[in-house]
Amino acid sequence: MPELLSEHRRIAVFGGVYSNAAALAATLADVRQRDVDAVFCLGDLGGFGAHPDRVYPLLQEAGVRVMQGNYDASLASGRDDCACGYTDPRDHHYARISYGYTFRNTSLDNRAWLRSLPAGFRVRLGPHRILMSHGSPRMVNEFLWETTTPDGLLARLLDDHAADVLLCTHTGIKWRRALPAGRHAVNVGVIGRPENDGSTNVWYTVLTATPELSVEFVPVHYDHESVARDIEREGLPAEFAETLRTGWWTTCLENLPAKERARGKF
Amino acid sequence: MTIPPPVLAPEGVRAPTAPFARLGALWIQLTGTWCNLECTHCLNASGPTDPWLRPLAPAVVHHALAEAERLGVREIYFTGGEPFLHRQILPLLEASLVVAPTTVLTNGTALTVATADALRALADRARYSLEIRVSLDDVEQARNDRVRGRGAFSRTVRTLQLLEARGLLPIVAVTEILREETTAEGGLYERFHRFLRSIGIARPRVKIIPVFAVGRLEGRRAERLTDAALEGFDRGMLQCAETRVVADGGVYACPILAGLPGARLSSGSLEAAFRPAPLYHTACVTCHRTGMSCRNF
Repeated sequence: MPELLSEHRRIAVFGGVYSNAAALAATLADVRQRDVDAVFCLGDLGGFGAHPDRVYPLLQEAGVRVMQGNYDASLASGRDDCACGYTDPRDHHYARISYGYTFRNTSLDNRAWLRSLPAGFRVRLGPHRILMSHGSPRMVNEFLWETTTPDGLLARLLDDHAADVLLCTHTGIKWRRALPAGRHAVNVGVIGRPENDGSTNVWYTVLTATPELSVEFVPVHYDHESVARDIEREGLPAEFAETLRTGWWTTCLENLPAKERARGKF
Repeated sequence: MTIPPPVLAPEGVRAPTAPFARLGALWIQLTGTWCNLECTHCLNASGPTDPWLRPLAPAVVHHALAEAERLGVREIYFTGGEPFLHRQILPLLEASLVVAPTTVLTNGTALTVATADALRALADRARYSLEIRVSLDDVEQARNDRVRGRGAFSRTVRTLQLLEARGLLPIVAVTEILREETTAEGGLYERFHRFLRSIGIARPRVKIIPVFAVGRLEGRRAERLTDAALEGFDRGMLQCAETRVVADGGVYACPILAGLPGARLSSGSLEAAFRPAPLYHTACVTCHRTGMSCRNF
């Protein structure tokens, strides 16, 4: 369990940068307008996008507190796949291309930096004990989708980790849930690709202790066309660019539960 | 009732075990081995007459659901036999969907229009996802029906179309029983994706399942796992490290071995079955070798 890091009144949290430096820059610019006293990234800096090294200086210069996602853990350890666990050959094919490109284009210095990142954060937000994980507190690559994460599981995870609020990412689609006894779970979403709803914007989350917990999902618009063109120029699959241009996921669909899959186009 | 000891490996040594890590999946062996089909490769030798494993009473299921919720279950599966033969399947699915995301495994041959409508309504009301997993073994009628029984193919295809028309996005489960006969280009996935699109399934979802030497295929192999064979292997990766099955007679370690005395871990509560599972069966070799999980994905 990560140690208590700091105490805050208002924080911004995002996940899944996926090498999307333009979306990251737009997110950080938006965050600067919101009077937050800390910014957290829940991991997965690479994947899908071009030029993965470009996101590192942005994160470091902004003082973002970053944890390892499964992608980062794989890159840091030299693993040969992203550990998303796809069995569908089509998803596996695109995941391999994405990971292989990211691995080849992430500098040794940045991979060393990834190795230094923690696996989670604990902070206090007003009276709330916040636990941040990439997938779940028990597995970095566990998918906590809105429609496959039972209240009973969340209660158990919070009990096991002595927390009031669980923050996670990894799935790519944001959600929040109020639980009994004033507890909460929030999937903070990702800023590297849209959330499969036909809109091109991405999302991050602002949490405030009022002292009750206030959760605000913030849409971020950015120049997705330039990012899509970079993907094409690098010879990455057209499907990755299409997702940014249309807001519909074209790959990595296998793990979507029925309800989330039905809301998408593919 | 006393719990039987693990079955010993052929050499006379105690079977290796898998640790219990968490309750990831609760399986409900709802109809035992009662099924309207009698597939040649059935994992638990289900059939229409004299099921060797009896169906569960609704009270047993409700008790298991309540216990699983308290224990933080992540997902629930209903299987058999053929779960849609159970008179209470719909209310039980509804109760399960209050607790956790729920999957029902079916051969798709006994599902009516009214049931498909009811499933759509259930899925709409539920906060969690309802998954319907339909078994089909080949995209050609004659080959499929040779292993699943005459008429199975056309009824299953109709069910897939009923579910698709209601936006329920079924998962098609395919065993590898006929893989060696497949000569078309592309693997099983591609073959099934093409076929499913041809019958109007816009977003095919396919799960491939290896063949296990259990049920009607029991006895083809006598291989067993040993501690030596598992040296250096993370046994927490096996699905019995995070799966428990409620079936007639108690709680078991594995959906494939439900009902077999060697796989029974408790004759009562679910929580009492949170202990290491003996890897005593030849099916355990297949799980170890293939990384097989009975979960959807």
